[in-house]
Amino acid sequence: MAGGTIWKGIIHFGETHVPVKLHAAIKEERIQFHLLHQRDGLKLQQMMICAHEKIAVPSEAQVKGFEVEEGKYIIVDAAELEQIVPESSRLLEIHEFVPSAQIDPLFLDHVYTLEPDATLDPGGYTALVAALQELGVAGICTWAMRKRSYHGALQACGKALRLTTLRYADEVIAVAALELGEIPLSERELQIGSDLIKQMAAPFQPQKFVNEHQQKLQQLLEQKARGEKVRILRPRLLPPTTADQLLERLEASLKKAV
Amino acid sequence: MALQGIWSGTIGFSLVAIPVRLVKAVAPGRVAFRLLHNTDYSPLTRRMFCPGQEELVPPEEIIRGFEIAPDHYLPITAEELASVSPERSRTIEIVEFIDLEEVDPIYFDHPYYLVPLKGGEKAYRLLAEVMHRTGKAGLAKFVLAEREYLVTIKSTEGALALVTLHYSAEILPDNDIVPREGTVAAGEKRRMEQSIRQLRADFKPEKYADQRREKVLELLKGKMGNATVTAPAVTEAESEGPPDLVAALEEIMTEMKQQR
Repeated sequence: MAGGTIWKGIIHFGETHVPVKLHAAIKEERIQFHLLHQRDGLKLQQMMICAHEKIAVPSEAQVKGFEVEEGKYIIVDAAELEQIVPESSRLLEIHEFVPSAQIDPLFLDHVYTLEPDATLDPGGYTALVAALQELGVAGICTWAMRKRSYHGALQACGKALRLTTLRYADEVIAVAALELGEIPLSERELQIGSDLIKQMAAPFQPQKFVNEHQQKLQQLLEQKARGEKVRILRPRLLPPTTADQLLERLEASLKKAV
Repeated sequence: MALQGIWSGTIGFSLVAIPVRLVKAVAPGRVAFRLLHNTDYSPLTRRMFCPGQEELVPPEEIIRGFEIAPDHYLPITAEELASVSPERSRTIEIVEFIDLEEVDPIYFDHPYYLVPLKGGEKAYRLLAEVMHRTGKAGLAKFVLAEREYLVTIKSTEGALALVTLHYSAEILPDNDIVPREGTVAAGEKRRMEQSIRQLRADFKPEKYADQRREKVLELLKGKMGNATVTAPAVTEAESEGPPDLVAALEEIMTEMKQQR
């Protein structure tokens, strides 16, 4: 079952209007931990402590400051920030359509599934799914919901429309910042490396993978709850493959894979 | 720009082992504010308080607990947590290579970069180059901050990027909200395709700016100069305390949670 409706809006470009409802596309389950005091096992409470007076400061005595230089702040109150709210609108405006393949996964943020707003939509949804699929494009769009403005990509997948929020260009760190050096590789190393990848190629079948760690963690917790002792295991560290071992290791890998 | 490491370990690519460091690939562009005390404008620091002892608890006395019944916690040590999947917490073992085009983008979660550590530079370079040549990306599993991720390692401009993937069990079925059989109105579709063609462009993410951020900065600019306050001086040792591992870990976990 899909989750509840998060927002209702109208996709718009040219003469087209398609009313839709947003739903969460992902649901994550994970084991939650709390922070305890080692001495008495009690659950700890978070407190904000004044660095000067060393006392706990309740939320009504907290203000937001923007640090202009060390120790100097501009105080901004909640009412001022409240004014920076985009105009309320139902429009999800598409500005342009780009080839889907051009959107690097590094830009993709949060994904929603769209439901046609059946009471208002005579069939625009299915026509838009078909059109986007045939042209292999994604609609780059902006909209405002929950007092925030967003920009995202509207894409078709199967019979569904999906909306993914996009990161802003300056939020993605450029590869140049990694300061990687250029290292020469021999044709033979590249050839064997490529052969090895082809040997290990497989279709993407996500169903094959389950979160085994979560299951093992659950077992460990049950074991501990029964009062059993837990065996401590330590990771084994692999020695790095150095530059002069690389070719020999690649050849051995390829032999192993055959 | 010095990129802070989040994790370090090894990429296992068959018999080749590449020592690497995991670093951020994205930095949220939000304008960061500090919480201050409204009387003396001193910055606030987050501390944990024990309601039983009625005192602040230093990081070395903080452990994690799993709630087995209301208000009953099973304490668990960092060592015990680390021994759940010891190998995967140190090694990103590539099990197969896939075509990224086959991956439904709904699976992509959070991106990182991998940077080679000393001695691993050549093997790193080779993996990036051969993945680029073959158009393939690695698929692996690894454990970070007590959580196991299915990840893809892809080549991007000579670097290795690691993108965490959702498990298929985390993807909500959409058959109850998406039209099942809908016949496509051919005329409607043709009309839409015409509009789409007129709006065709290349993906240029730099064309879009975060309007909220711009407005917040504008607001700050307007207040600059006349409205600053100064916090009382506090010696570094008092304000910061020892490096806090639990807090650092928590930060990673919250950060990851915020991506959802």
